[in-house]
Amino acid sequence: MSLLIPEEVVSKKDISFKVVDDKPADRIHRILTPEGEVIGTLPKLSPAQLVGFYRWMILGRFFSDQMIALQRQGRMGTFAPLQGQEATAVGLAAPLKPEDWLVASYRENISHLIKGVPLLALMKQWGGHFADNYPPELNAPPFQIVLGTQTLHAVGIAQAIKYNNQSHVVVTTIGDGATSEGDFNEALNFAGVFKAPVIFVVSNNGWAISTPRRKQTAAEYIADRGAGFGMPGCVVDGNDVLAVYQVVSEAIDRARAGDGPTLIEAITYRMGAHTTADDPTKYRPQTDLEEWTKCGPITRFRKYLINHDMLTEAKDKTLHEEVEAEILSAVKEYEAISPPAPYQQFNQVYAETPSQLQRQQTDLIQDLNLEAVSRNGSYA
Amino acid sequence: MSLVADQISPAVIDSMHQVLTPEGKVVGQLPDIPDEQLMQFYRWMVFGRISSQRFVALQRQGRIGTFSPIDGQEAASVGMAAPLQQKDWLLGSYREYLAYHVKGVPFPAQVKQWGGDIPDDYPAESRCVPFQIVLGTQVLHTVGIAQAIKYEGEPQVAVVGCGDGATSEGDFNEALNFAGVFKAPVVFMVQNNGWAISTPRHKQSAARYIADRAIGFGMPGCLVDGNDVLAVYQVVADAVARARAGDGPTLIEAITYRLGAHTTADDPTKYRPEAEVEEWEKRDPIIRYRQFLMDRSMLTEKEDKVLHEELNTEFEEAIAVYEALPPRTPQQHFDLVFAEQSPQLQRQQAKLLEALETEPDSGVNHDSSLMPL
Repeated sequence: MSLLIPEEVVSKKDISFKVVDDKPADRIHRILTPEGEVIGTLPKLSPAQLVGFYRWMILGRFFSDQMIALQRQGRMGTFAPLQGQEATAVGLAAPLKPEDWLVASYRENISHLIKGVPLLALMKQWGGHFADNYPPELNAPPFQIVLGTQTLHAVGIAQAIKYNNQSHVVVTTIGDGATSEGDFNEALNFAGVFKAPVIFVVSNNGWAISTPRRKQTAAEYIADRGAGFGMPGCVVDGNDVLAVYQVVSEAIDRARAGDGPTLIEAITYRMGAHTTADDPTKYRPQTDLEEWTKCGPITRFRKYLINHDMLTEAKDKTLHEEVEAEILSAVKEYEAISPPAPYQQFNQVYAETPSQLQRQQTDLIQDLNLEAVSRNGSYA
Repeated sequence: MSLVADQISPAVIDSMHQVLTPEGKVVGQLPDIPDEQLMQFYRWMVFGRISSQRFVALQRQGRIGTFSPIDGQEAASVGMAAPLQQKDWLLGSYREYLAYHVKGVPFPAQVKQWGGDIPDDYPAESRCVPFQIVLGTQVLHTVGIAQAIKYEGEPQVAVVGCGDGATSEGDFNEALNFAGVFKAPVVFMVQNNGWAISTPRHKQSAARYIADRAIGFGMPGCLVDGNDVLAVYQVVADAVARARAGDGPTLIEAITYRLGAHTTADDPTKYRPEAEVEEWEKRDPIIRYRQFLMDRSMLTEKEDKVLHEELNTEFEEAIAVYEALPPRTPQQHFDLVFAEQSPQLQRQQAKLLEALETEPDSGVNHDSSLMPL
């Protein structure tokens, strides 16, 4: 590649500082309107698959509600509600093949479930247990809490796939807030240079805890970051499960064909709190929430399914009963597990525990025993 | 229909600003600059070339520490600093020492820094902080300074330089984002010299232009011929005016070329084709500007020779000042870290003193053999 700037780029024009004003309203890809009306080309999906998407979405909603209730009762650790983001989570995971990778943050629990991760694994992670029963063959590591670091891991995995001449791809997710982390930008740059088979899905839910999107970055769209790292940037209605599915599917095809990474911004809304430790009424106008409730992903998709005779009120009721039973049975299973002993956490850091950690573990066991002895017993 | 490919973000950059061709021909609107200042640009550029080449020789003789040559980047350095007012701020990496010279940092202060000495005599009123060695961090410092300017309600701006390699650091991107959100009065000047040590530009980022990064942070991006001092001056002057007017930051990419090595510890013949260097020698910023001045009858061969002699003398005088400085003791560098020294540093300093007493020859004086590569 020549370092010289091609002649056609050299211009004698006046200096122009204008950002090209080229953002048509239809830049946001959408198939279903908030009223469930079809305005785009539908992806090729069978009625069974479509109802399957719907089932995942209502399961996610019930799971989220249930987790919040459990946390309030002291039966679960801190939880990050996902209400309102069901379409994005389903649409980004549904196109993945079993051997593809999903490297997600804490807000995409439904994506993990679609990938095959058992409910129990997620509950254990939220409950403060170890994330030790994610089946490795699912190619979905435990969801990441540290902001944005999963995007670096995803690029690393994608590079490994490439080195091994495999045809898999990696989908990674991140919130709007984490896009301001240097890590995310380094991940984009690396992926761009090495044409890593990775898809970055930004779930832009409007709020990073209490920081609104407009204070997060001055960019018109977060997807505009794509150009600066040499990859396509794509904006999609994140509350439209079909649009998300379509865009992610196409980006996956690109990556699998060796055409490199894609940055997708899914515009959605966090209808709940950031986590169970947050109270959004302190910083967010109630009217925003009302506005977004009208665009809710489940209502819209339900209307579409009913209008196209794929769902009836009765079938909807049965589906709700099914997913509720499924969640409640997982809760029962979770609560039957005894919490791990604190010293066991050292065993989950490395494949082989290094000597420093071994020493710390020994120290902790000693402390725990001393404490137990002082209580006139012995440590279990 | 392709959903993804059709949605590639709108590109900011469609042209590279240029006023002088490599042959010195005027192809753009000349900036409104008096002849005297046009000559001053030339003096600064020639001083940059002379100092860079002399520094390399001094390093080879063991008289200064590791040095990073700026041959080929004189136009970008002069053009980025010349539009600044005295109270504006300028921060840069090690490759912007000529810009610092233009901004008013006394040359001997910079010689000291290259000598491995403590840069403790940058005058506060120069509004330059010692050039940064750590990649890209000065970009964050500059946004902080720009924010402070804004809080104080002052009309100043801050300009920062960094290389193409440093744009891959998370820090650089965080700085852009912060500046965009808060409309900080800052101008980001990327001197894209084609190589980050041995990493060529096309392996640094897949973006067509580094300036394309701007749109993703909500600011204008601008591409300029970095070997054209007038074009760089114009673009930076416009960006500075935007910032001063409260219109926020600008990202400028100056396309230039590192004719020399990355530093005196590098050998580019190991990784770079000679033909590429020859190609860029034809686009040398000094040759083109010299031709422009001669065509306008502002410079003759004879005057040019005198000017070179004067600048050579100026450089040698600065070296004489530097070499006459009393040797610095190693323990003194502890005094320059914080306004009030922390107890940890006090302990370390005492320890070093003790070690030096037992082993008196362990590193006093300007001993460049102790410099890290």
